[in-house]
Amino acid sequence: MRHTRSLCLVASLAAAPLAAQNTVNIPFERMTLANGLEVILSPDHTVPQVAVNLWYHVGSKNEVKGRTGFAHMFEHVMFTGSGHVPYGMHDRLTQGVGGSNNGSTTNDRTNYYEIIPTNYLESALWLEADRMGFLLDSLDEAKFKAQRDIVQNERRQGVDNQPYGRVGEILDAAIYPESNPYSWPVVGYLPDLQSATVNDVKDFFRIYYAPSNATMAIVGDFDVAQTKAWIHRYFDDIKRGTSITRPKVAAPVLTAEKRYTYEDRVQVPRLYLQYPGVGSDNDDTYALRYLAQVVAGSRTARLTKALVYDTPLAASVGAFVNTNENSGEFSINVTPRPGHSLSEIEAATDDILARIKREGPTEEELAKTRAGLEFIYVSRLQANNGRANILNDGLVFHGDAARFKKDYAKLKAVTAADVKRVANKYLTAGRVVLSVVPMGKADQASKAAASSIVTVAPDGAHYILGTK
Amino acid sequence: MMARTFSVALLLTLAAASQSSAQARLDRTRIPTPGKSPALHVPAWTHSKLANGAELIVVEKHDLPLVALTIEFVGGTSSYEPADKTGVAAFTASMMSEGTKTRSADQLSDAQQMLGISIGAGVGQETGTIGFTALKDKLQPSLALLADMMLNSTFPDSALERLRSRAVVSLTQQRDQPNTIANNVFSMVVYGDDHPYGRVLTERSAKAVTRADVVAFASMYFRPGRAVITVTGDVNPRTVRGIVEKELAAWPAGGERPTFSYPAPPAPKSRMIYLVDKPKAAQSVFAFGGVGPPRNTPDYYALEVMNNILGVLFMSRLNADLREAKGYSYGVRSGFAFGRGPGAFRAGGGMVSAKSDSALIAFMKELKGVQGDIPFTDDEMKQGKESLMQSLPGRFASVNGLAASVSSLYAQDLGENYFRDYAKNIDAITRDDLVRVAKKYIDLDHINLVIVGDRASIEGPLKATGIAPVQIVDVEGRPVLVP
Repeated sequence: MRHTRSLCLVASLAAAPLAAQNTVNIPFERMTLANGLEVILSPDHTVPQVAVNLWYHVGSKNEVKGRTGFAHMFEHVMFTGSGHVPYGMHDRLTQGVGGSNNGSTTNDRTNYYEIIPTNYLESALWLEADRMGFLLDSLDEAKFKAQRDIVQNERRQGVDNQPYGRVGEILDAAIYPESNPYSWPVVGYLPDLQSATVNDVKDFFRIYYAPSNATMAIVGDFDVAQTKAWIHRYFDDIKRGTSITRPKVAAPVLTAEKRYTYEDRVQVPRLYLQYPGVGSDNDDTYALRYLAQVVAGSRTARLTKALVYDTPLAASVGAFVNTNENSGEFSINVTPRPGHSLSEIEAATDDILARIKREGPTEEELAKTRAGLEFIYVSRLQANNGRANILNDGLVFHGDAARFKKDYAKLKAVTAADVKRVANKYLTAGRVVLSVVPMGKADQASKAAASSIVTVAPDGAHYILGTK
Repeated sequence: MMARTFSVALLLTLAAASQSSAQARLDRTRIPTPGKSPALHVPAWTHSKLANGAELIVVEKHDLPLVALTIEFVGGTSSYEPADKTGVAAFTASMMSEGTKTRSADQLSDAQQMLGISIGAGVGQETGTIGFTALKDKLQPSLALLADMMLNSTFPDSALERLRSRAVVSLTQQRDQPNTIANNVFSMVVYGDDHPYGRVLTERSAKAVTRADVVAFASMYFRPGRAVITVTGDVNPRTVRGIVEKELAAWPAGGERPTFSYPAPPAPKSRMIYLVDKPKAAQSVFAFGGVGPPRNTPDYYALEVMNNILGVLFMSRLNADLREAKGYSYGVRSGFAFGRGPGAFRAGGGMVSAKSDSALIAFMKELKGVQGDIPFTDDEMKQGKESLMQSLPGRFASVNGLAASVSSLYAQDLGENYFRDYAKNIDAITRDDLVRVAKKYIDLDHINLVIVGDRASIEGPLKATGIAPVQIVDVEGRPVLVP
């Protein structure tokens, strides 16, 4: 079969291009092992490669204050060998044979994948099963400490040594209460990372790295019957875990605006606005994605057209929706052109946001956005590993591996009225306004007198936000 | 020995009867034996010429209703951009979105959005491209739009001023970016601004570009005589040819491929650390290397394998030592630029500031290592080759990857059999080849060691390694007079 993936274009394009009834499909079958491991099998023989992709339902959300960054550090430890797999073998049997591997950690989940030539599928399953079942058998203090250093370097490189690199962390710390696990960064704070111990690794592994807290999607060129037999062979005798208490994370509520200034090693100031948004369990996420496009997704988007083109105050504008499992944020950033102040930028931005709240988007804006989002959705289906993530995402966060169908339908069903409604519901006065300015130039902040200065705590363990 | 043979036989018998009994006997120390390597399937394509001289390649890929179209132009800034007008090519590419004779910039943007596409144009050092990816039923209207941008752009003065102002802001921001500083200083130190490979966009050159320069560049550059049009996806070659001929009918013949004749790079200087001060930086960014060979060197395959082992694989020598064993870095890499001319060899990464000196020592040891000090093991050879050979199919997995791969054969003169013969050419490389090319192309006596970091804390320790004298330079690579 060549057309294992299909996207049926059942549309009368000439008559009603905007109402095209496109459907997407990723054929798959499921299997659940007695120990609770959920498996998704989706064969596709386009190229002789296969992706093995595991999600563990654990992320920085499961950490506690003072021990931030642990879930991500643990991800690194998972690559240092396990009971029957010597250090280095994982790379040898993936990248070393023409494939690749990696992992990633978010607030809510940790994933691991191997993309391998199809003849190395069995060894990829062997590798994953071994670290799921036997990681602690070979846990080595020196290797753990090296990874702890590497993660600190990852933080230095990606956050501390980057202009504007700390902005995301400051915004999250400002919008979420300190007790909310979404308030701290996935990569963690440096002193917290330094204090992690081997015993922490052991405890974390026992709680969260059980088959009953994992899903595994296998996507690509493989034989289903043979693969099922291998899965039984390598995973069946790994013990189910105990039940997990998941943190209850409420979406943030800000009743009033919070204003901050951060002095960074930058030459050009930048204004950030962040609003409380929604989690993936709330369908408003779809309309918010349209809203981001309508305000800053293209040259003719509202903010972009007004601030970058028509009255050029800004060099660039961006708007983003972040959707985590239980909560999310909607954010906007604007970089001024020389000679224009952040105060000026903020006032102009607010005028335009007020207008979109009053008017909502036009049908044309909606149609353009829908066409772009639809194309992105389909093009993401090209990679085996991309499809594996889509399937796992549905199963882990919605209990439904076929969630992508609903997701796609809901994304396309968004109306102009929906976008207007979410603009009014979420773009409210309860927001965070952060001015990032060059060192010693706090006076360049927007409404400087009303904004409090953010500093990094002397030990680097958190941000001191202050109040005005 | 007997016992083992017996248990394996038993296991096979039981496997058929009962999965769970077999489970109890699973020997997890045994690495599963790989099956037979999948045969390399290089996709087939059609290649023809249009009446105006452009080459047309069509590759079918029917798994999703997608299509990618790219027009790749042979030659780029290093052949066509005047030395005192660095940036004219980039401005021209950006300004193709700024309006045509019949569409305003906003109308161009809206039309693309309605099609769900984004037409991207860019001109690099040695090739340029314009293209898009779309749902397949949007191919023809998308190409019509692209043709309008390529042939009828008006390049309004006001847009140039806006883009220039934005470029100046972005140049200012890049001065904060240690990686960008390292890139620029490395180019300057290795090639100097008399060589096309050493040129970088500066405020000065951005300000020198006029609208007339842009108009002249566009009409000279986007010509079919140097163009390779590649269409990949859920299409058939005959239909594609019809669509391309119709939508590009107004594109007159003309243009030719450049000769890629480069001036000789500056003579190598003795080994030196070029230190750019970035006060309080959390990391020191290393960019080490010098002039390398062009892409058409007969040593290409040997260099690919050698470099794969040195600094590409995750467990490459550099990354395994500096990141994994020593924890100095989040990642260390090396690579050859392989241009039509003598592209650079470069290795580097971000190192924790406090270990800058130890990282430098470890770096030099590994570079010396591949020249014979640390012999290549059998497993390094096997892995260094197999990882290259078996990763080839991954290039053909997406319509864009496929388009770029096939287009490169014609745009870089790699030959139509390049993919088919790739594995054979890699497999022929010997251990002696690796040592020979490492010695020939990594000149440690003249290596340029660019380091961007916190001078106050790292200069002393770097000097104390005795590896090379330290020269303080600014963000453009010019020596700073040290008090």
